[in-house]
Amino acid sequence: MATEVERQILPLFEIEDRSRWYNPDLPETDPFVPGHRTCAGCGPAIEYRLHLKAAEDHSIAIGPTGCMYVANSSYMCTPYSIPWAHTPIASGGSFTSGVAAGYEAMIRKGKYQGKYPNIICMSGDGSASDIGLGSVSGMLYRNHDALLICYDNEQYANTGIQTSPTSPYGAMTTFTPPGPKIPEGKKLWPKEVAKMMAEGHPWCYVATTTVGYPIDLMNKTRRGLNFRGAAFMQVYAPCQKGFVYQTPLTIELGKMVVECGLFPVWEYDPETRSYDYLIPEQQHLVIEYLKLQGRFGHLSGEHIAKIQASANRKWEMIGADVPADFRAAEDPGYYVSRGIDKAGAAATEKAKAW
Amino acid sequence: MAVKAAVKPASGNVVRVSGCTASALAAKYADVDVVTAYPIRPYTAIMMTLAQMIANGELDAEYIHADGEHAQLSAALGAGSAGARAFTGSSGVGITFAYELYSFISGARIPIHMAVADRTLDPPGDFGSEHTDALCTRDMGWLMGWASTPQEVFDKTLMAYRMGEDHRVLLPQMVCQDGYFVSHISGEVELPDQAQVREFLPPYRLPYALDPKLPVSHGAQIMPEQGPPLQLSRARAMEEAVPVMREVTDTFGEVFGRHYPHFIEEYRLDDAEIAFFIQGAHAVTARGVVDRLRDQGVKIGMARLLWFRPFPTEDAQKALGHLRAVGTVETNLGLGGATSGGVLSLDLAAALYPLRERPLLTSFMAGMGGEAVPSNEFHWMAKKLQRVASEGRIEKMAHWVGFEE
Repeated sequence: MATEVERQILPLFEIEDRSRWYNPDLPETDPFVPGHRTCAGCGPAIEYRLHLKAAEDHSIAIGPTGCMYVANSSYMCTPYSIPWAHTPIASGGSFTSGVAAGYEAMIRKGKYQGKYPNIICMSGDGSASDIGLGSVSGMLYRNHDALLICYDNEQYANTGIQTSPTSPYGAMTTFTPPGPKIPEGKKLWPKEVAKMMAEGHPWCYVATTTVGYPIDLMNKTRRGLNFRGAAFMQVYAPCQKGFVYQTPLTIELGKMVVECGLFPVWEYDPETRSYDYLIPEQQHLVIEYLKLQGRFGHLSGEHIAKIQASANRKWEMIGADVPADFRAAEDPGYYVSRGIDKAGAAATEKAKAW
Repeated sequence: MAVKAAVKPASGNVVRVSGCTASALAAKYADVDVVTAYPIRPYTAIMMTLAQMIANGELDAEYIHADGEHAQLSAALGAGSAGARAFTGSSGVGITFAYELYSFISGARIPIHMAVADRTLDPPGDFGSEHTDALCTRDMGWLMGWASTPQEVFDKTLMAYRMGEDHRVLLPQMVCQDGYFVSHISGEVELPDQAQVREFLPPYRLPYALDPKLPVSHGAQIMPEQGPPLQLSRARAMEEAVPVMREVTDTFGEVFGRHYPHFIEEYRLDDAEIAFFIQGAHAVTARGVVDRLRDQGVKIGMARLLWFRPFPTEDAQKALGHLRAVGTVETNLGLGGATSGGVLSLDLAAALYPLRERPLLTSFMAGMGGEAVPSNEFHWMAKKLQRVASEGRIEKMAHWVGFEE
């Protein structure tokens, strides 16, 4: 008596030989429509639009509390042309599990006529890596057919820039302000959320990417949705308000964070249980990334050296060569000898204003 | 080890089952689509029974092993929002662990069902039944009531689904049973034909399900000035539930032949001067004590509350307004409240206050921590009530039974 559940399979986009900015074969549909209250240059808003474009219209979006809830749905208006639901901040994975289970049962029992929808939950890094970590893990563990995306702007941005478990070492947030006793601001190192999900739920599709790689982002969205089971993505998406940078640089930062070795882009294949790492064509010292952002303006050579060391370990992990200059920059003396005692004077000025 | 569904045939379509099994059977008859479970005593047996039913192929539903009660209720909310009929439940600190969800679910107007077998809140660990666990969610916008027998658990579960899913109501429901006294004691349950249940309980149709064919947004952010109408509509839904609950209770009686009072069971109240006001399992003992005292000529009765939310103010006034003294039997802790006792009496006092002629009110803290309330304690409470009636004044607002002369 049971009705078979029909699932959607979306084709992938060509990634070779194309402009980063002009993508004529993208779907016309835009389930994330204009008219929301996010900041100019908002990384997560750009990301959200690309995810939903990739998912197309037979989809359901779920949003735990976070800036993508508050800024997107102010005054009871939302920018979604597909069904969308808000959930408590710790309920991203569990609410999504319920929607997925509901559709499995309803279609199987003949109570819903139609294909299984693409079910996407967009959790912030606070939701996915902190208060709702167990809920995300529960969804992956039970392997519901849905995609949970951690839009990672590396902080609790909605509440006014507080540190989250993915905020980088040295970041200034309102819960990790630098001062004479604690000159570096944040002293802890960020959780590697996607690795935790891949290692802990090895039957799931897991990937990372950034807003700097839009076609990669959309293809991974589709792979995650096409995958029969639970999928997880962590996507680096800069927050102008918290990172304190020039607004047009959002996409640029999405590239720089990868080219400086701070946010490895990879895809985990549950079939082969292996990682496919992106090794960028260009590599830069971390200071090139740090100096673009006011949140690092207070750092001195010894802190930057530590961040460079952590980037070098990541280069080694993904199998990239680590240039000799990068190794030298693990030493605080590297910065002193070059007269760099701060990550960037301009950034410091901006940080003061903020 | 396979868990036996523990359905022992008695006669015809009557089975002898515990309150937990009765709850699970009702979920099966309601053809629930999604069950969300997390273990905590004593309600766990409901979920064990459902798991076995699914394993046996007797029920087609998705069974979610949630990672805690917060996730359990969130998943049930997700399923209900998608348009699937959802069933969940809990006990004791499990209920309070999920606290964020109670307002969320009723505010989202998603009529999921939650089965509760009461358990005392920690500390220290105590398996016994106390109503404090469910009662601390009483103002969150859920239909809520206590069943005192397995049959009533079964019937109330079906009724609650129909009440909550009615488009004039659209609110979640919590059907509670005392842990152990009902949840783990067998009673006869008459099982209906599936066709009768289909007639009584129409398929779940949420007017605003998350369906790509008809996109809607749930829970968009508001500014404070948009708050009042939303809160008012939830309050109105609770008020409008009262006539719907009467209607559903009557229809249930017509379809299944078991006729329940709408909100309050009035037991020997007509010519009574004093009465117990009570909910849950201990009403069974209270009824027996009322009978014995009546044999001795004491004009005593009992009012048993079947639904605590929405509170049946009108019914309480009609049932109790003419009495001289009423004693609320509290099986809950309302620390620091107006009576220094429990919370049931607070609602009763407010309900009776507008009457020109009203009874004197006192209350009894009994069965705390899940201890049984034996007949001799009810006799003690009756004596106190007799004295209130004869002296025309109360001794105190809350008596701790067993700690006083």
